[in-house]
Amino acid sequence: MNDIIQSINSSNDSLLIGGVNLRSRLFVGTGKFSSHEIVPQVLKASGSQVVTMALRRVNWKSPQENILNYMPPNTILLPNTSGARTAEEAVRIARLAQAAGCGNWVKIEVVQDQRYLLPDNWETLKATEQLVNEGFVVLPYMSPDLGTARRLQDAGAAAIMPLGAPIGSNRGLQTKELIRILIEEISLPIIVDAGLGRPSEAAEAMEMGAAAVLVNTAIATAADPVFMAQAFRLAVVAGRLGYLAGPGERRLEAEASSPLTGFLQEG
Amino acid sequence: MQIVVNGEAQEDLSECTVFQLLESLAVTPKTAVVELNGKILTQEHWQDTLLRADDRLEILVFIGGG
Repeated sequence: MNDIIQSINSSNDSLLIGGVNLRSRLFVGTGKFSSHEIVPQVLKASGSQVVTMALRRVNWKSPQENILNYMPPNTILLPNTSGARTAEEAVRIARLAQAAGCGNWVKIEVVQDQRYLLPDNWETLKATEQLVNEGFVVLPYMSPDLGTARRLQDAGAAAIMPLGAPIGSNRGLQTKELIRILIEEISLPIIVDAGLGRPSEAAEAMEMGAAAVLVNTAIATAADPVFMAQAFRLAVVAGRLGYLAGPGERRLEAEASSPLTGFLQEG
Repeated sequence: MQIVVNGEAQEDLSECTVFQLLESLAVTPKTAVVELNGKILTQEHWQDTLLRADDRLEILVFIGGG
């Protein structure tokens, strides 16, 4: 297992985002873990180089230690703008995260719908335009829609992050066909974010040609998050290899795998 | 004086700097982000920025998120 991961890590199959060559195509979120202490173990097991976190008002009645203290060195921090309902709020959060020393990567997340937490593509586009102009490496979380993806690309987004299913739902690639179209039509990396609940679903996204996946809830709510992080790591590598290998065509009817000549009963 | 911290009114504050207020609230300073009246206040200015009546202060930290 380690041989396979090492061989793919040492190959030239890296993912270029914001001027950085990433070896790992698994991005990991840090929400919903039972304790901060498990986070470093999960990140190590995942092999992930890009990790998300959120910015919130400090609660001095029950002080919590800063999640950044649990990030391994050299992790690329990808603060999200969760909590933002408008482009203006997303821009404000991105600037605050940068001021806090988080670097210049940001995951735009603008949500008004509180039931399904579906992103507002229009506000997301406005925030992307503004933050790209300010020099951020912008990764917008979006509802998979080709028109919006094209506009995000034109606005200078570093990657596009369509949802597979609603955040935290563990329902997998419900938007598969729309994501397939984005992969086909958009030259930016397509990173499937939200909804992936099982390693097989991450592998499926990677086999389709997704550049990477972002997983949080599926790992954090597993009975053993460290094992699950490892499982997603392997699934992402397997799916990527499957994509690179170029799957054979699908057929409705059988095509014998064994030659249809030289049978015993012939002649 | 009264100032508003994270949306909540803090009454009867005596004159203090942003840094002193953070300390009094037991906020580990090096990991917080501060916004004063809608503008980011970077760490090097916490010691020399005096709070004034009706200031609005936001103190933020990073937490787990996806």
